[in-house]
Amino acid sequence: MSSPILFVIVGKNEPLFEAEIDTYTGTTGGNDLSTRQNYFVLHSALDLVEKSAWTTNSMYLRVVDKVNHQQVSTFLTAGNIKFMLLHGGKGEEVVRSFFNEVYGYYVKLSMNPFYKYDTPITSLAFENRVRAAARSYLS
Amino acid sequence: MSSKSQAAQAGQALWAKMPKANAELFALTYGSLVTELVRDYEDPIEVNAQLDRIGHSIGVRCVDEFLSKADVAGMGLTTQCQNLRDTAEVVAKMGFKMFLGIQAEVGAFSQDQRCFSIYLQDNPLSTFVELPEDDPSGGEDLRRLKYSNLYCGVIRGALEQVNLKVDCNIVRDTLKGDELNEIRVELKEVLADGAGDDYKEE
Repeated sequence: MSSPILFVIVGKNEPLFEAEIDTYTGTTGGNDLSTRQNYFVLHSALDLVEKSAWTTNSMYLRVVDKVNHQQVSTFLTAGNIKFMLLHGGKGEEVVRSFFNEVYGYYVKLSMNPFYKYDTPITSLAFENRVRAAARSYLS
Repeated sequence: MSSKSQAAQAGQALWAKMPKANAELFALTYGSLVTELVRDYEDPIEVNAQLDRIGHSIGVRCVDEFLSKADVAGMGLTTQCQNLRDTAEVVAKMGFKMFLGIQAEVGAFSQDQRCFSIYLQDNPLSTFVELPEDDPSGGEDLRRLKYSNLYCGVIRGALEQVNLKVDCNIVRDTLKGDELNEIRVELKEVLADGAGDDYKEE
């Protein structure tokens, strides 16, 4: 029973980063149909993210949406960038640690003078670090 | 050699006395300067030339500050550099240490003693920097950008004020994947002291 994990960073207008992580092999995988469904689920949860952002002071918004067996957890950065994780029921603390680590990498990325805020992230180094963090925290 | 360790010690002492700035602020300021230049000029070769010019202005001023402070630290005019090797040591061990707080090494002296290299292990200007990948939509190839070209200008400007005309180039750059940064300095000529024709007496 593979439950691929989908991690998306969403900016103001468009997704900035996407990574589908198959926790068993740590690489991208999964068939097309479930991938598309997953993206749909994640994006439809965006409205709920806005709603729950008002209810709490902290950056970590926990689980904002539940669909079938999957849950969407979100982390809101100080600049209103949303980190969203679609997963099959990981513990809250585990997801929180993962988000915090990715937040650290994101901040380092944004200190790069060549990276413009709210643009798609193309850095390979960032992608590798995110995948490594996902492997260590989420599997 | 005793002059080497003397230079290193003097460098330490000078660094301790200098006012300090936040390293991240410094790196980010330089980063925005470079990206602004890239936006304005677009051609990376032109940006390199501009960074060299800016560095030149900085170097001209740095050398005066260095000479005035070095006097106090005991590396004064009585211990003048006898040859290019001494100059190289002073630039690397005292100059870089005093203004940036980093350890720089010299090496790779050429046969005719007119060229040398300065090696920098870590470069405070390029903290957090990652050169963008090639832009397939036809944007300028930023791989040709020499991000730390400011250093070349600074060395050129500073040595010009002490009558040494040099050419500086960055040959190895950690941003491009090398293990350390290497600046190659070549002595072109030793200028004659002079204020120019305008000041010749009638």
